[in-house]
Amino acid sequence: MVDAARQPRIDVRSYTEVEKVEGFVGNFKVSLREKAKYVIADRCNGCGECSRVCPIEVPNYFEMNLAPRKAIYVPMSQSVPLIYTIDTDACIHCYKCVDACGSLEAIDFSQEDKLVQEDIGALVVATGFGHFDPSVMEEYGYGRFPNVITSMEIERLNNSAGPTAGNLIRPSDHKNPEELAFINCVGSRDKRYNPGCSNFCCMYSIKNAILLKQANPNVDVTIYYIDIRTPSKGYEEFYDRAREMGIHFQQGRPSLITEDPETHNLFVHAEDIALGTVTEKEYDMVMLNQAAIPQPDQDHMSSVLNVAQSPGGWFMEYHPKLRPMDSPTDGIFFAGACQGPKDIPSSVAQGSAAAARASRILHSKEWEIEPTIAVVWPDRCSATTSGKPCGICEKACPYGAITITGNNPPEITTAKCHGCGGCVAECPEDAITQLHFTDAQILAQMRAVLAKEPEKKIIAFRCHWCSYGGADLAGTSHFEYTANERGLRVMCSARMDTDFIYEAYRLGAGAVLYSGCHPQDCHYITGQLLGARRAKRLQKIFDRMGMSEGRFRVEWISAAEGDKYARVLNEMQAALDGMSSEDLKKEIDELRPEMEKRLKKFPGVPGVAEAMGYSDLLSDAINEQKEAVR
Amino acid sequence: MSHEASEPSFADEVKAIPGGEYLELCYSCGTCVSKCMIQHKGEPEFNPRRLLRMVMMEMKDEAFDSRTTWLCSACDLCYAACPQKIHISGVIHAVKSIASKNGKHTMIKTAVVDQQTCVACGLCAEACPYDAIKIIETKVPYRGMIQVADVDSSLCMGCGLCSAVCRSTSIRVPEEYTDESVVENIWDWLQPQEVRS
Repeated sequence: MVDAARQPRIDVRSYTEVEKVEGFVGNFKVSLREKAKYVIADRCNGCGECSRVCPIEVPNYFEMNLAPRKAIYVPMSQSVPLIYTIDTDACIHCYKCVDACGSLEAIDFSQEDKLVQEDIGALVVATGFGHFDPSVMEEYGYGRFPNVITSMEIERLNNSAGPTAGNLIRPSDHKNPEELAFINCVGSRDKRYNPGCSNFCCMYSIKNAILLKQANPNVDVTIYYIDIRTPSKGYEEFYDRAREMGIHFQQGRPSLITEDPETHNLFVHAEDIALGTVTEKEYDMVMLNQAAIPQPDQDHMSSVLNVAQSPGGWFMEYHPKLRPMDSPTDGIFFAGACQGPKDIPSSVAQGSAAAARASRILHSKEWEIEPTIAVVWPDRCSATTSGKPCGICEKACPYGAITITGNNPPEITTAKCHGCGGCVAECPEDAITQLHFTDAQILAQMRAVLAKEPEKKIIAFRCHWCSYGGADLAGTSHFEYTANERGLRVMCSARMDTDFIYEAYRLGAGAVLYSGCHPQDCHYITGQLLGARRAKRLQKIFDRMGMSEGRFRVEWISAAEGDKYARVLNEMQAALDGMSSEDLKKEIDELRPEMEKRLKKFPGVPGVAEAMGYSDLLSDAINEQKEAVR
Repeated sequence: MSHEASEPSFADEVKAIPGGEYLELCYSCGTCVSKCMIQHKGEPEFNPRRLLRMVMMEMKDEAFDSRTTWLCSACDLCYAACPQKIHISGVIHAVKSIASKNGKHTMIKTAVVDQQTCVACGLCAEACPYDAIKIIETKVPYRGMIQVADVDSSLCMGCGLCSAVCRSTSIRVPEEYTDESVVENIWDWLQPQEVRS
């Protein structure tokens, strides 16, 4: 950190909040609030005289509130930058610090928060993680029993720079404890609080146990665990070392901690899985390895940065395996535990990767994006035709790439568009198109696959990232499914236009599958939600129309669910098999006027009329060829 | 290549019964075992974690003969403590009903109805927390075709609540918790310390 601060091209802004991020890759405008420190940074030399004379003491957050700090303070002596800050909530304005500062004149009570805006090329988010508060788990008594402490508190208690100078004492009577227990997975791997594994607690509980044992050879340490997870290089050896040092590992998650009210010793009740018996052991102090959870203000940050969150609340990466350091928004990157709990080596690797990714942007004059962007036809937009834009596209865009100013047609910031096609499908005037996935192109494919015996065909709309992958996996895994399936790929379920579905039935399709990713897996932040809402609407419409059950199906299938894809298709085929071709045809004939009513505007979309003719020609040509072969 | 589902396993059977659905989420942490009052107070062999394991490992006979299957009182202390939110007593109940279907009988002394005195008032059926009592019509010696209470022994947990509410002392749990033995106990406690047996 000191090195980073010394580097002339690194500008450390401490005590500063990001308030707003606007713009796009290479051209971000970031609004910052530089909070008033009431100390002039250029004049403060970090001598600490002010802190020494300050009469006010408040708990120090950095020491997990186990030690005090003054109202004018730095959280720790190695702080970077070493500039004192006045906590005005605690300060009583006695101005002793001003006298102590003397001729440096670094203290300025008239300072105010400063709002600044910076031009930023790329952002790396490294906001870290928060801690689960174990006091909500009443069975462990944290907050009630003085000698039940958290892992972060033992980190400070066992640190030579900590509040006790490394002397291990327990809170109730300040005696040196001898029997110690760690409890793993407190609030993690627990569906009541956080279902996920916090990744690094196994290792740090082993580390803490080893450090405690090294500093205090007479202590006895037991680690209660569900599973010990030591998957990285050298980690298992570290676990071996701990066992060789005589640290006890007991498999079995404690259900209860009770306290002897006189001695404040603790009794841990747990089943010893290996023995199959319930144990109740007495300890002087118990440490809870609490879960790593997202920062308390992670939701706020996510809306400031316009990046999505995974189900647990962590920032969502572009791709969990291939692009773990990229956010779905170009130019914003993640480093460390803000994207998910991870240990130091992984955080360093991700941080370095994010920095490399960011520097790629800073060194380019041009930036390549996906070619499947959305384009507006201004003359079709209701802003032109009726004088007032409806604004649906602006709301549909998960990236904020569409802006409508006044009564003008929308404008798309191309660099922000990721090509989900949500706006294209949502536009009631068909005034937006998506390059490479135009209505005409998709229609041409659909007409080609429905050219012959359409009532036997199942049209499957698949999203590029998930259900298409699922179909692919079904194929490579040799999961047999019906040969009547015809897949049509779009980038996201958000692109699956109602017009396509109506047109498919108008052409006589036997059944239509509307498939995409699971909501939490969407590659376009909230694209799936848009698609899912539309699918629900469609389902209602078709139910009202009286369409037979099983002819329209909505399924969310991930790229790993090849078996599900095959099963769904087979179920759809079975539903079709239950009806005769004549019935299927008859039903479509009955429904066709309804479909045509809803498709009135469709042929007016540029290219669609031509595509209809073209594919007719194509299918005629195919049929002729087949006839000739016969 | 065929991907047809094979015969349902023991776990599938249990999962098909409401309450047993989340069986396979168990990662054997043992919280339920150390939370269990039955385990604590006198049945060291009582171990819900092992029973769940037996179900998953297709150990039907062992599960049917396990004391865990029959002694659980569904107090649900473990349910609140389970980090995987498995309704453990629901799983145990599912195993019990499968065992009953396979002709196994409970190890508990269950409630018994005296058909000669029962008036079928239905109080016991209302009081039973396990829904084990129903009013049925049956032929009773000397009384003919009448309505009487009937205990489903596979559901009864022998708590004795029915016996406490019965106005005609027609239903009771045999052995140590009969009215007589309870009264005897209370009488004993009421004696001065030195006289107590």
